[in-house]
Amino acid sequence: MKTSIKALTTAIAISSAVPGMLLAEDTVKIGALHDLTGSFNIYGIQQSEALKLAVKKVNEDGGVNGEKVEVIEYDTQSDDARYTQYANTLIIRDQVAAMFGGLASSSREAVRPVAHQNETIYFYSALYEGGVCDKYTFLTGVTPSQQLGVMLKWAKEEYGDKVYVVAPDYNFGTISAHWVNEYAEEYGLEVVGEDFLPVSQSDFSSTLQQIQTSEPDFVVALPVGSRQTSFYEQFSAAGLKDRIGIISTNYGSGNQQVVVSANAGEGIVASQNYFQVVDTESNSEFLEMWEAEYGEISDPIISEANDTWNAVMLWAEAANSAGSSESDAVIDQLLNGVELDSPEGKIKSLPSNHLMHQVYLVEGDSNHSFNVITKYEDVMPEYEQSVCNLLEDPSVSRQFSPGS
Amino acid sequence: MIKGENKKEQSMDFAQITFTGLTTLSSISILLIATLGLAVIFGMMGVINLAHGEFIMLGAFVTLFSTQAGVPFVLSLGLSFVALAIYGAVIEYIIIRHLYGRLFDTLLATWGIGLVMYQGAILLFGSYTSGIGLPAGTIGIGKYTMSSYFGILILVSVILTATVYLIFVKTKYGVMSRAAIQNPQMAGSIGIPTKKINTITFSFGSGLAGLAGGLLVPAFPATPDMGVAFVSKAFLAVVTAGPMIISGAVTTLIGVGGVSSISGIIFTSVIGDVVFFTITILILRFFPTGVSGGWHGKL
Amino acid sequence: MVSFNSGGEAGKKMKISASFWWLYPSVFFLLALIFALTTSQYLAYLATSWAVFGLLAFSLDIIWGKGGDLSLGQTVFFGVGAYTYGIVAINLAPVLGNSLLLAVLFGGLSGVLVSGIIGYFIYYGRLGPLQTTIITYTMVLIMATVAISTSFELGSARVGGANGMTGIPPLTIDILGFNSLTRHGALVATLTIIFIVTLVVVAVLKKPFGLVIDGIRQDVLKTELLGYDVRKYRLALFTIAGCVAGVAGGLYSSWAAYVSPSIFAVTQALLIPIYVLVGGRGSLYGGFLGALFIGWLTFWLGGGVAGGQTTLILGAILILLVLFVPKGASGLINSIIGKTMRKTHAPINEESIAPDLEKLNYFLEEPEEKKVILETKGLNKKFGGVVATDNVNMSFYNKGIHCLIGPNGAGKSTYLNTCIGVIKPDSGYIVFKDEKIEKLEPCQRVQLGMGIKLQVAKVLEEKTVWDNLWLSSYSKIKNKEEANDIVMSVSDIIGLRHKLYVNAEELSHGEQQWLDIGMVLSLKPEIIFLDEPAAGMTKIERDRTVNILHILSKFVGVVVVEHDMDFIRALESPVTVLHQGAVFTSGSIEELRQNPEVLDIYLGRQKDA
Repeated sequence: MKTSIKALTTAIAISSAVPGMLLAEDTVKIGALHDLTGSFNIYGIQQSEALKLAVKKVNEDGGVNGEKVEVIEYDTQSDDARYTQYANTLIIRDQVAAMFGGLASSSREAVRPVAHQNETIYFYSALYEGGVCDKYTFLTGVTPSQQLGVMLKWAKEEYGDKVYVVAPDYNFGTISAHWVNEYAEEYGLEVVGEDFLPVSQSDFSSTLQQIQTSEPDFVVALPVGSRQTSFYEQFSAAGLKDRIGIISTNYGSGNQQVVVSANAGEGIVASQNYFQVVDTESNSEFLEMWEAEYGEISDPIISEANDTWNAVMLWAEAANSAGSSESDAVIDQLLNGVELDSPEGKIKSLPSNHLMHQVYLVEGDSNHSFNVITKYEDVMPEYEQSVCNLLEDPSVSRQFSPGS
Repeated sequence: MIKGENKKEQSMDFAQITFTGLTTLSSISILLIATLGLAVIFGMMGVINLAHGEFIMLGAFVTLFSTQAGVPFVLSLGLSFVALAIYGAVIEYIIIRHLYGRLFDTLLATWGIGLVMYQGAILLFGSYTSGIGLPAGTIGIGKYTMSSYFGILILVSVILTATVYLIFVKTKYGVMSRAAIQNPQMAGSIGIPTKKINTITFSFGSGLAGLAGGLLVPAFPATPDMGVAFVSKAFLAVVTAGPMIISGAVTTLIGVGGVSSISGIIFTSVIGDVVFFTITILILRFFPTGVSGGWHGKL
Repeated sequence: MVSFNSGGEAGKKMKISASFWWLYPSVFFLLALIFALTTSQYLAYLATSWAVFGLLAFSLDIIWGKGGDLSLGQTVFFGVGAYTYGIVAINLAPVLGNSLLLAVLFGGLSGVLVSGIIGYFIYYGRLGPLQTTIITYTMVLIMATVAISTSFELGSARVGGANGMTGIPPLTIDILGFNSLTRHGALVATLTIIFIVTLVVVAVLKKPFGLVIDGIRQDVLKTELLGYDVRKYRLALFTIAGCVAGVAGGLYSSWAAYVSPSIFAVTQALLIPIYVLVGGRGSLYGGFLGALFIGWLTFWLGGGVAGGQTTLILGAILILLVLFVPKGASGLINSIIGKTMRKTHAPINEESIAPDLEKLNYFLEEPEEKKVILETKGLNKKFGGVVATDNVNMSFYNKGIHCLIGPNGAGKSTYLNTCIGVIKPDSGYIVFKDEKIEKLEPCQRVQLGMGIKLQVAKVLEEKTVWDNLWLSSYSKIKNKEEANDIVMSVSDIIGLRHKLYVNAEELSHGEQQWLDIGMVLSLKPEIIFLDEPAAGMTKIERDRTVNILHILSKFVGVVVVEHDMDFIRALESPVTVLHQGAVFTSGSIEELRQNPEVLDIYLGRQKDA
């Protein structure tokens, strides 16, 4: 049966969707805001499953400061307004010690001011356009300054100098495109053209024509959402894959490789901090735990699941080190560097509230899956580190973007 | 910002112009295929079916699953048509027929149907499913290539439109339904079974929507929200079409769609969309009887 | 002060409900306050958003329930108001310190601006209901597309494209001892602002403005023909609705502290009609009820499994509403109240009271001398390839009757419509009281002194006889007291004094015709056009009509377009024959009867002249 039904039954079974009213004394509550329904639910369901798996592990290992962790989760239905509403619910009514969740950047921006106003720590666990600097918001996903740099350098060797950018016409796309231009200058690449797509677009004939006119060696493609994913299909069917390379920073983050036909998916190169095919010991254990809990894995585990798992682990580790789950105490620990082994490899928290990541370069095979090409170790979020230091100035609360 | 203007000198050559024309035709034909069902229902019945996008989506899923189960693609298309035709007949019987003459009520009721279908699709199918991919083969002009499937779609859209036109102009059913629309009481009193005709028309329009979904599925992955991208433009083309619904809608799509597509090529795709919407508003304002308002013709 | 000595009970009821217009909003507000002050913090927080969406639904009800236009674009003004509040509040918070009411005001103003532009485009283009709805729908599409791609900074406020605008400060005021920075205080503050706005709108929607709007909703053309510039009224109403939506947007922003382009999503836009339908369209309080119900329903479904199916449930509710409960909650309430209030309706008299046309002498003035009051010179009109009006020169006097006849397709209707302004001629002049009026709108011509009675009795069926007459009486004199007097006089003349508080739809067909005549009379016109006044009448009614036209023509010019030859003969007046759009001949009916060519035209034997 399809993911949704499975998720519904899982949710009922795990039954943490009921807001806690009568609680045992010795638990610490954390809140979860996930898109279990709506257009983003492929991400939300896995984030939710990862979170609960992590909580289970934490509790098995003794909990946080001797207390069991309890999850209060709300289905935000892929709707920003619900993020605002339920974030407030978690804080006012449920009085959680920490909040987790969010997928689209707009959902994060809806929660961030609530977290900040109420001085509650919030973990956002998905790849995004970068630049957030806010004491109470912690970002465990990877940013363009981590993915694009290494990937573009590699692409130059592999394909050539000329690059064309296809990006969605909103923050994630425009900022990523900006970074492509920055790194292009640094590594001696030439950006021969850019196209920004409205979110609703699904007919890419004009884009494909422009690409052919500009004659690039490879394309950086960042289509977002199910509709834009057909870009890969159309690109391949137009016969372009034979002569133009195609690389992406978000392909695979939402199991696009399953949707895209095997032919079209072959040869697409992607970079992220995690893919299910990543070969580390921690990942093997992680996948084993996952299967034990949820049964055989039918949909590949996505990077957001890894990021959510990491968020919980970091929080628990920091809270235990601090001896308290008070937000300020936990934040203090994190700002000073918490290091962990995670399914992707080693991660470390930084004063910009971002993480040092391992970045993997993978290539799509002919079977809806990936082969790892190479691994870049200990990659720092250069940009975020350069504009944001919450140890020095903890009062900052904004999102930086290049050129502002 | 202007696309492609960055560093390279662009010289317009024959290949580029021809290919641009081909690309624009391709975009228009896709919209046209998606719009036909809506045009039939609105033009022949005065019913605005805001669930049209979800009908397309359902047709896409039928084709998808049946092709994945081994049924040849073309047969799956037929299956989509039939399945949605039956579905449309049921919807007409339960809901639509109680709302004839109440334009805004049907608009709202079909919006509700769309919501239910969308959410139901997410529950049943999940938010994403693997696609069937486009067939191999390209069309080339100069240095440009395009998937041959889009070329096929251009042909299909012309054939489909012509077929619908001929059905309504030449067949007995077509003539009867046009009579029923122009003067229902008169038609009824000369023995035209208006109720049955309406059910058939709605069914036919729904079948066309299902067929459209199936035709589009190789290029556009089947997801519960796939219809949304087409519905707004299809809807606008249909309401600006005027009394000659098919000719009018085709003209709007070619004209407005063409201008919008070219703006999208020159500037950004977002501007292309805004151009489409703005021209539509201007048409509504300055040609209130529709694009085909002053024309003489049958359909 | 006019005494209401007829239809007593119903009359008193009307008077009471007219003076106590502020009662319902105040009662609701009191109830809401009690709830606000006694509920939990969390529910107070939630209820604030319900109230805000209630206000947004209210704005739709204003334009849809009252105005009759389904605007799918209220969320455009809502979103613009929300963004405006954010920009103003973020920039002014350091300066103003307390109270960001000013920002809410700006939210309303931005709503006025945007809705003013869109409304002008729609209503001055005289677009029909379908085009209106679609244009508002398209506005939403445009805003949704543009907002995602647009990012800029205005002062310290950053509009971040798809990431929206974050960190918006909330309202900071003290009300009833609550500071609005608390959840309870925020709810109380929001409710108070909503109450004030609602009160203002309800006050504005009383007579006379509200009555004109009701007229427009029921019959745009009739209201225009009573001399009201319907474009202005519709624009005003649309702008009011836009302002209210803008204010709601500002309040939303202050509650959510964050606004993003998702506020312009089409799915959001189509949600608002659901609120209005649930509560009852046109009731004005229905929007609040609907938002409350749906908000509570979403809350009850919770954030878990059931809550995820909200969309599906709402879709199902919408279908059921449209099919089975189209009038919503207010419809149910009204039918309950209606049953208990049956006895206060005025008894429907079987006997009619005869109209007393002698009283016209006290009402209208006889013109001193007979002269030409209206002339058309060289009037031409083509539709496509068809010549409808062909170089028509005609004059009409300020008293006496003049008839216009001709076979079907002769161009009588076109000519009539051109005189009254519904059609604008291709060339030629129309001179009325020494002024060239061919470019004037029908309402302007009525204001100058034209009266128009069309074939179908166009009275406002949902309104009482009193309201119908009052609407036309008020149109030119714009004085409530005088209008009251005119209503009393005219109702005497047309013999409906005893049925002043009966709804027009309950009158007999003949009585409706009289009411229509009365409405035209109350305008005190100097020339009246009547389009086929004898249509559908019995012989007795026809004779009565001939009688009134004779008496009327002592005071005003009467132009009759007719088919019925017996009727025309009884009028004993000059007749002009139209044929193929041009004047064929004129004379008395006796002369024309003996003219073989006239007979030929009617029998279709005419060779081209």
